[in-house]
Amino acid sequence: MNDEQQEFERGSSLSIFGSDRKEDFMALIFALAIAFGVYVFT
Amino acid sequence: MVYTKKSPALFIIGIIMLSIWFMADSGILAPYIEHLGGKKYKYTAELLQIPLYFGILSVAIGLWQWFGNHTENHWDYYSSTVAGAMFILLIAMLVRWFVAPEIAVISTAMGKVGQTGSYIHKLLGLNYVVIGIVVGILVVNVFKVPEWARNGVRVSRLGLKTGVILLGTLYSAAELKNLGGLSIIMIGFFVLGSVGIVLWMGSRMKIPNSMGGVLSAGMGVCGVSATVAAAPVVQAKSVEIAYTIGTILLWGVGCMFAFPIIGNLLGMSHVQFGAWAGTGILNSAQVAGAALAFQPDGIETLKVAEIFNITRVLILPIIVLWLAVWYVKREESATQVNVGRVIFEKFPVFVLGFILLFALSTTGIFAPANHYKGKYFGNTTETGFKESKLLKADQKTLLQSEIASVQRDDRRTALQRLIDNGKVMSIGDDDTLRGLINAKVLSKDANSILKAAHKSVRHTAKMIKAFRQWITWLFAFGLVGLGMQITISSMKQAGGQPAVIGGVVGLLKATLSLVVVMMLVSETI
Repeated sequence: MNDEQQEFERGSSLSIFGSDRKEDFMALIFALAIAFGVYVFT
Repeated sequence: MVYTKKSPALFIIGIIMLSIWFMADSGILAPYIEHLGGKKYKYTAELLQIPLYFGILSVAIGLWQWFGNHTENHWDYYSSTVAGAMFILLIAMLVRWFVAPEIAVISTAMGKVGQTGSYIHKLLGLNYVVIGIVVGILVVNVFKVPEWARNGVRVSRLGLKTGVILLGTLYSAAELKNLGGLSIIMIGFFVLGSVGIVLWMGSRMKIPNSMGGVLSAGMGVCGVSATVAAAPVVQAKSVEIAYTIGTILLWGVGCMFAFPIIGNLLGMSHVQFGAWAGTGILNSAQVAGAALAFQPDGIETLKVAEIFNITRVLILPIIVLWLAVWYVKREESATQVNVGRVIFEKFPVFVLGFILLFALSTTGIFAPANHYKGKYFGNTTETGFKESKLLKADQKTLLQSEIASVQRDDRRTALQRLIDNGKVMSIGDDDTLRGLINAKVLSKDANSILKAAHKSVRHTAKMIKAFRQWITWLFAFGLVGLGMQITISSMKQAGGQPAVIGGVVGLLKATLSLVVVMMLVSETI
């Protein structure tokens, strides 16, 4: 078993989140927050 | 279990960041910055802010992690990632501010490579992205990722995904109308064809879908950005991303030297070679290198190659969507399920974010809609042109006195329009005048006037500049973390098949595009 297949109690070896969709939504929230910040403050 | 480690590591990372800030702020680093390029060193502003903010944050959370009492809960789990995340960020800082510039200094001292007009670090793509991955690989294989940093390494993909969503802001569909019809058809055919062939070969050679997916984007579209954008879509493993980037860069280096030789042997025109290089070579810097090697005394070839290259990059959103649907269908094909429902359930949401920001960018909300990576043409006050930049009478007189020495009609007409209006009147004129500058037909003073006229109509959007900054840091963070997930054993496991597929598809694309260019492309597009 290589490092990428190693099992974690929570999340996976590539992500701290339980599902990809949860990670996608977090990324979306961060990105939109950054975009909003850039739009307002630049 | 309790995830937060009672360790001084994060506190020490914070102290190191604050030390970097202090040394930059107090001038202790000034001699080294001078060595790295002095006024040309681009990161002074970052050095005076980023390590300060993150240093304070790391020291504060580090003290709490070191001395606080921790119990098992959500907060413990998520906050335990901070130490690893700051560890990655510190490495990204060192790579971006010191390691990459140091390599550039050494490479510059070695001189330009042949007729390419570029230095070896640019041609090999040795920027913070590649170096970041390599440093990450070294950390994990030589020292191993420390226990306290393990959870943090797993947030690197979140950073990459956030960066990919923001990548949408750099492109605009409106830019497509500035591109030639032939470039859109040719690039569309070859990009989609390359992606399709890689996916087909991948399934024939039984490589994982994730590997085939990420390699197809890299070989089909262009270089590192496409690879990084496609990687989370097809859930590519770290080692697969590294393989793809390595294959693209090595293939590109070979092409960069081979293309100009073949072009000269076949007696290709500037337009033909530009179209071929822009289609067949994968990395932007290498496309430019080959074009300049083919035509060192002008930029006609480079301009055509740039048009083809831009067209290719603008197809990226379509490829990302395609791969997202393809991957979901492939992964679920073993079980008979409703494809529509599976796509709804599994489709990567962040791709929609990427498309959303691409659409917003196209509306012109962040920059004039016709921008490309934040750069746009504008010769009116509304689009950023300053009236004070209009040519003065003596400048017009000088240009008028030299116009007779310009032989080519298109260049003479563009120059006359510049003299009559006092400013560059169109993107086409701007390109033509850049060619005139490069051809060194006019005197040094006249060329300086043309360069100033060119500069006054080319602008960089502030918002896009800010987005680029964010994307840069998110990618640097994500890719260093990604490197930390690549072990020697995982590289052995991936084997050499990706390089074989990459080589076959690259050769096929280069050969077919050469045939098409020789048959269809004439001197003008």
